[in-house]
Amino acid sequence: MPAFFFYFFSALTILAALLVVLNRDAVNSAMCMIVALGGVAALFVLLQAYFLAVLQIVVYAGAVMVLFLFIIMLLDPKTRRIPVSEMNMVVGLVALVMLAIGAFWLARQYPTVANLPPVEALPTDAAPLGYATAAKTFGYGLFTRYLLPFEVAGFLLLSAMVGVIVLSKRTPADAHDDPAKPPRK
Amino acid sequence: MDLTTILTAILLLPLGSAVLIALFLRRRGGLAAALSVTVGFLIMALSLDVLLTWNGQDFHVSTEWLRFGTYAFSMGFYFNHQTALMLLVVSFVASWIQLFSVGYMDDDDAKGRFFGGLSIFMFSILGIVLADNLVMLFVFWELVGFSSYMLIAHYYKTDFANMASKKAFIVNRVGDFGFLLGIVWCWNHYGTVNLIELHGKLLGHPELLGTHRAIAIGLLLMCGFIGKSAQFPLQVWLTDAMAGPTPVSALIHAATMVAAGIYFLARVFFLLSPFTLHWIMWSGALMTAFAGLCALGQTDIKKTLAYSTLSHLGYMACAVGLGYPELAMFHLAMHACFKATLFLGSGSVIHACHHEQDIYKMGGLLKKMPLTGITFLLASLANCAIPFFSGGYSKDSIITAAFLKGHTDGSVYFGVYLLVLFGALCTALYTGRLFSVVFLGKARSEDAEHAHESSPFMTIPLVVLGLLSLGGGWAVYGWTWGGHFTGLLPSTCVVVFAQAFKDLQEAAEKSGAATILEVVNLVIALAGLAAAYLFYGRAPAGDPLAAKAPGVYHVLERHGWFDDVYDWYVKQVQQRICDLIGAIDLLLFKFTFGWGSGGLAGLTGSVLRRFQTGSIHAYVYWFLAGVILFWALAIG
Amino acid sequence: MQPGLQAYLTVAGFLFAIGFAGVLLRKNTLVIFMCLELMLTASTLALVAISRFYNSMDGALFVFFIITVAAAEVAVGLAIIVALYRRRHTIQVDELNYLKH
Repeated sequence: MPAFFFYFFSALTILAALLVVLNRDAVNSAMCMIVALGGVAALFVLLQAYFLAVLQIVVYAGAVMVLFLFIIMLLDPKTRRIPVSEMNMVVGLVALVMLAIGAFWLARQYPTVANLPPVEALPTDAAPLGYATAAKTFGYGLFTRYLLPFEVAGFLLLSAMVGVIVLSKRTPADAHDDPAKPPRK
Repeated sequence: MDLTTILTAILLLPLGSAVLIALFLRRRGGLAAALSVTVGFLIMALSLDVLLTWNGQDFHVSTEWLRFGTYAFSMGFYFNHQTALMLLVVSFVASWIQLFSVGYMDDDDAKGRFFGGLSIFMFSILGIVLADNLVMLFVFWELVGFSSYMLIAHYYKTDFANMASKKAFIVNRVGDFGFLLGIVWCWNHYGTVNLIELHGKLLGHPELLGTHRAIAIGLLLMCGFIGKSAQFPLQVWLTDAMAGPTPVSALIHAATMVAAGIYFLARVFFLLSPFTLHWIMWSGALMTAFAGLCALGQTDIKKTLAYSTLSHLGYMACAVGLGYPELAMFHLAMHACFKATLFLGSGSVIHACHHEQDIYKMGGLLKKMPLTGITFLLASLANCAIPFFSGGYSKDSIITAAFLKGHTDGSVYFGVYLLVLFGALCTALYTGRLFSVVFLGKARSEDAEHAHESSPFMTIPLVVLGLLSLGGGWAVYGWTWGGHFTGLLPSTCVVVFAQAFKDLQEAAEKSGAATILEVVNLVIALAGLAAAYLFYGRAPAGDPLAAKAPGVYHVLERHGWFDDVYDWYVKQVQQRICDLIGAIDLLLFKFTFGWGSGGLAGLTGSVLRRFQTGSIHAYVYWFLAGVILFWALAIG
Repeated sequence: MQPGLQAYLTVAGFLFAIGFAGVLLRKNTLVIFMCLELMLTASTLALVAISRFYNSMDGALFVFFIITVAAAEVAVGLAIIVALYRRRHTIQVDELNYLKH
């Protein structure tokens, strides 16, 4: 059973990713991206990282992509429909094939583990950060071993917020511009 | 206070005075003058204190100043009898000349700068006097050269003064280059530059001076002397140096700085091999005769006295070359007195005639300026080596020594005797000429008509130095009084030459020619003076020699065309070489760096510029290429 | 056949390659940005897979941070794109070439 789900969701993810790249309309690309992120979340579930799966849906697909859609729709509709240039197509596909081969080749180095038994063990003194599904383990890790990165991440979010506010201020020069007019060089 | 402290005070007081004047008193000429003169007399007092209380033992103290690995430069004092005499000369003469300057420079705007320069000069010359090693001596040697440069260019608004000061400094520098090479080689060869250590090394090993290296070192060290004391071939700067104010000429270019070369030779006498001494002797004798002749062709009173100085320096060099450095020091001391008097007298005359320096525009000043006239007369007689005057003892002893050399070492050395005798004749001639034209006869110009005696600032030093030029030499008779004085000089200073003088007299007696020599000297001097008076004394307006023998006069006036030869050399030869080197340099740098590395950088820049396409996709493709490269490297 | 670590890593690799191709091919700045996020997601998948198969929590915790940073980065990046659009009135990358020599 899990094998079937694995193949289904991975195929879904890859197809959605391809559609992100090949779509002409940016809004369509964003929608396909949401599907791809959902597929990745499903794969997380198959790996028994339930907390991360939820986090992926809520933060990534839910907040980040919605923000993307906001910005796409904020900008001029004419700018959304930009096709892929044919000249680049060949080079891009060649690059794609090369990278895929490379990825496959790299993956072959790792041993196969047949079954995925369920994991319930919470961290103990013997194996402090062993893999576990409970959300508690995140707490264990974040507040003991990775405390500094945790605090820094908080700081990072604060500075990102401040940065965004500063960057989105309208300068006096912008006030005179009408977005509908043709661009000034 | 112990000797070290007093000597340090003597050395550093003028430096302090100079610094104070430079910082605060540039515009306050009167205060600067007062400070400088006070410091000068203080130094004289301290020096007399040292000289009267010194116990006669060689004194030596030094401290390390800079260290480069195994090489160490040290600064120190070496006080022996030569130092004592030189210290007396410098401090005494300088103080009175400083007092004279107060009167002479009273109408000058830049008094502050002048007295600052005098103070710095005092510091430098005292450094040379007291130095105990060649490096310290060289440092102060250069400082003296700088002070001379600064003071000659006092009237810097005239081109002539600027050029003269540059000439003095550059010609000195040429000599100092050889000097420096000599010092470095001396350090390399003997392992030390300390005078006491060198003396110890060479004591009792005269064969060490016979090696080629030692000879070469001696010759190189002599170059410094040649530059500083204006001997052949570097004598061209001294006459031009008369562009400076008269007190400067008196102090620096007559009494002390040019004599520093002789003092140096006396100090390192033990380093000079017989070959070097030969050279010094002959060149000194030639200089005596040549300069004496040239003095007859000058109409400027100071230039005449400058040639007189050159002539006497030739005497001193000759004495060193003959093997009597003590007699050279004796003559140095006497010469300082009477030459300073002569220069100060000429300064007094110049000042009275409103800065007129041509002797043919003066005349009859003896009546109008009696004190100046009489002191000038005393000093002139000393100049001519009349017996009983100070110059008589020292100069006659040198002539006697020259005769004895010819007597003992072979008749070719009689040439030296004849040269110095001829020099004595010329001395009498030009001295007589000078005195007759300036002080006797009738006034030849308005300024000379209205001249009057100078202020006490100027006459008192004249009297003091004049008396010394009269009686300075009486010390050889050994009259001691007051426990510390012999003749008119402190006993500690007389030790330098007293013994040598006695030995010379005995040698002259033994050879049986003593009386003949004295008679010949006296006859020549008197004959010269009489001839000069007869020829020049009653001349109207121009130089009678110029009128009667214009060819001869022209040769003398151009002083042997030395200046012209050097000018030609610098303009035609040296300048062309410099231009050539400049062109090569330009070519080299333009090609290698301008077109070479500069061009390369530019080319690289314009190639790399093409990478900045502004297109994000291009950058990503480069990124991909980089990733593939790293991949390949990682796989191996 | 159970999917092993190899399978998950292959999927992550493909996702990464697709994202990279998207960055190379697309001219819309926003779509390029989305493809960057796709690459990031691929790396998170790989991390979780390795973490699971090697029985260590470190990978999962690192993913936690990646998601955080990605969110911050997207916010700031989009703000920059908006500001850029206000000036240049275009979001096509080949028109944004002011750094061309």
